[in-house]
Amino acid sequence: MTIDNIRATFIAEAQEIITDLEKSLLNLEQDQNNKESISTVFRSMHSLKGAASMFGFESISSLTHNLETIYEYIRDGKSKLSNAVLSVTFNSLDHLKKLLDDGDMKNKELKNSHDSLLKDIEGLLLEIQGTAANAIASPLAEKPVAENTYYICFNPVDKILHNGTNTLYLIEDLMALGEGLSLPFFQNLPSFADIKPALSYTGFEVVLCTDKSEEVIHEVFMFVESECQLSIHKIGAGNLLNGEAKQRLNSQGTFTILGEDKILSILVPASASSSTASIAAKVQQIKNVSNIRVSSERIDEFMNMVSELVTIQASLSLHAQKNDSPALLTIAENVEKITRRLRDNAFTMSLIPIESLVIRYQRLVRDLSLELNKEVVFKTEGTETEIDKSIIEKLTDPLLHLLRNSLDHGIESPDVRVSKGKPKQGVLLLRSYYSGANVIIEISDDGAGLNLEKIKAKAISKGIIAADAVMTEKELINLIFTAGFSTADQITGVSGRGVGMDVVRRNISDIRGDIEVSTKENKGTTFTIRLPLTLSIIDGLLVRIGDTDFILPLTSVNKCYEIETKVLEESFNQWVTLEGQRTPFLLLRRDFNILDGRPDLSQIIKIIYEGGHVGLVVDRIIGEYQAVLKPLGELYREQDEFSGSTILGDGLVALVVDPNRLIKKLLKKVN
Amino acid sequence: MTEAETLRSYLTFRLGDEIFAANVGKVLEILEIPQITKVPRSPEFMRGVINLRGSVLPVIDTRTKFGLPPIDDTVNTCILVISVIIGEQTVTIGATADSVQEVMEIEEKQIQAPPSIGSKFKSEFIEGMVKINEQFIMILNLDTVFSSNEASIFQEMIEKSN
Repeated sequence: MTIDNIRATFIAEAQEIITDLEKSLLNLEQDQNNKESISTVFRSMHSLKGAASMFGFESISSLTHNLETIYEYIRDGKSKLSNAVLSVTFNSLDHLKKLLDDGDMKNKELKNSHDSLLKDIEGLLLEIQGTAANAIASPLAEKPVAENTYYICFNPVDKILHNGTNTLYLIEDLMALGEGLSLPFFQNLPSFADIKPALSYTGFEVVLCTDKSEEVIHEVFMFVESECQLSIHKIGAGNLLNGEAKQRLNSQGTFTILGEDKILSILVPASASSSTASIAAKVQQIKNVSNIRVSSERIDEFMNMVSELVTIQASLSLHAQKNDSPALLTIAENVEKITRRLRDNAFTMSLIPIESLVIRYQRLVRDLSLELNKEVVFKTEGTETEIDKSIIEKLTDPLLHLLRNSLDHGIESPDVRVSKGKPKQGVLLLRSYYSGANVIIEISDDGAGLNLEKIKAKAISKGIIAADAVMTEKELINLIFTAGFSTADQITGVSGRGVGMDVVRRNISDIRGDIEVSTKENKGTTFTIRLPLTLSIIDGLLVRIGDTDFILPLTSVNKCYEIETKVLEESFNQWVTLEGQRTPFLLLRRDFNILDGRPDLSQIIKIIYEGGHVGLVVDRIIGEYQAVLKPLGELYREQDEFSGSTILGDGLVALVVDPNRLIKKLLKKVN
Repeated sequence: MTEAETLRSYLTFRLGDEIFAANVGKVLEILEIPQITKVPRSPEFMRGVINLRGSVLPVIDTRTKFGLPPIDDTVNTCILVISVIIGEQTVTIGATADSVQEVMEIEEKQIQAPPSIGSKFKSEFIEGMVKINEQFIMILNLDTVFSSNEASIFQEMIEKSN
């Protein structure tokens, strides 16, 4: 991450906080005694202040500092919210928004209004504090003598994030002790490609002016002391961090460790030196990096419109072909090209990295492994892989379940592992990567692996399979996805209620994905989830049976063959030999009860189904088609062999087939 | 038009020999029969889906649903686009009718309670009856009629009454 990026992140974050603030303030305007809104305002001010001073937006932190104090008084019931306070807060909000663009107040007018606001706030604060004006620190009031200035250097190990510690919160806690300034630095920052999102590369130097003792400062780092290098030194009595010194320190911006001596020399300079030129350069840089936050509804709406456009474009192409006008054909082709690009572009907008999902699991894995007395490291790879946000939302629960299962059933307790000659610490790995038009997410552990004998015995005792059933390894493994199956001998609080794996599979197939398992005894188990990149548009094969059009997703289509309809109709066992391979087939016109227009030659489409192949027989193959998925709606809930429908160029509706479900349903009927 | 007036207006339509009425507040529009895509393996009364200006609308064969024998579509056959509440969702569906009659105002005092005995229709599907020009018109409770997933909600009753 570059400095610009960090500041841009802060700005985005600050804008979010300000929006929340605004909401709470509007609430307060209606109901001045709303406790919740008051503490929201206080919290927002607090986090804004902390973040601002960390990223060098000194103007913001100075403004929010006293406002925070005011709201603290109100929150604690020591004072009442007045209209005057509200109006000043609103003004400050507007001002804060401007400050985000021009943090160093290059604009004179901004600077003037900043100063007058500061004065207003201060006036209010003094009023609130009443006679005890000197109790709370305010820049103009005289500071109590008991204050000391400390230099704190906090350099965490890179794995500090693994146990759920948020270093920013530590800094925030530190800042809450008094007036402070934090200077982040980067150590061992690798090249961009090698950055691991789960590692921390940031340390902080903090100059803190507080009336608390050194022990109190130490306490902030109590829980992370083993995971960081920490040094805390008193560098002087009183507040060395006055406004100007702060500015000077802030303008350093080297993002390397300055060291105690250097900082002290900046705070108490021999001669004042200004570096306005570098500040100006920085402001310029920040302006160049711009991103906007767009609400997800607007993106959804945009996606819908793009989908509509794809439909209209299909209709245009069809019309152009019918009219046989070369000029129109060219236009149609160009529109098609642009539409395709627009579609791809629109998709990338709603993609978010899998990382956003993984962060939630880090903590869970840690807590669970403690609860289960297991030693586990949770590793992630390829979490920058991006996937549609609606898919991410639906993945949370299934992935959570798989992780829990791996922790509970997969990874053994430390002594068992040692007796097996494995390292004491188990490894849980979440890996994701692109594969063609799919995203693959793998969850693997180096635990005991699935015990096939146990699975078989369980399935027999539960009546899922017959006692003398002959099954391949793969079929046995797939039994764990059967409803009502659970191999845990004991039901633990973590997993093993038997509602698990079948629900996981169903959730995943709801988003048109599938899940596979591979396992090796004592080596571990890997769950592989294959997901489409997006849910709203699929590349499909348009086929026709009778006068009804169907769309098969191209991802599951393997090959197409032509065969005499008579041969298929007269086949007694529903098997056909394709390229020397015996393949079961389904004569869809029979299964769909479509009687009209029987062709002499039919098309068999070989579909990949549960590791093997099944042929689906249709009348005609029309061609490739980009289908915009439209739900069939509540009334067709039972017909889940159709994942939806799409509107063709001629305005007719075609049904989008979910081959896995269709084959499963139809084969069940045959058996 | 105020809400009270809306509530008193009913659209009447014909199915076989019977005339039914539906509150106009529930009827969004009336369509000619376009080409309908049949969804295989769906219940008999589900006629299929149509393209309603870019969204996909399921169409119910009301005759089948009401236990009447199927007939070929005529020029008068049409689809009523209605919004019904299924579960907790408001769903837009199409329902076929042999022909649409008119929109009429029915005063609340004109509406009689549905007869509990001797009717071939279950009372939960009928909101009330009204006699106009010597003809009984049945006011349907569209929510219960079309949210029921039974193949034919009236069939059983007809078989019994026969």
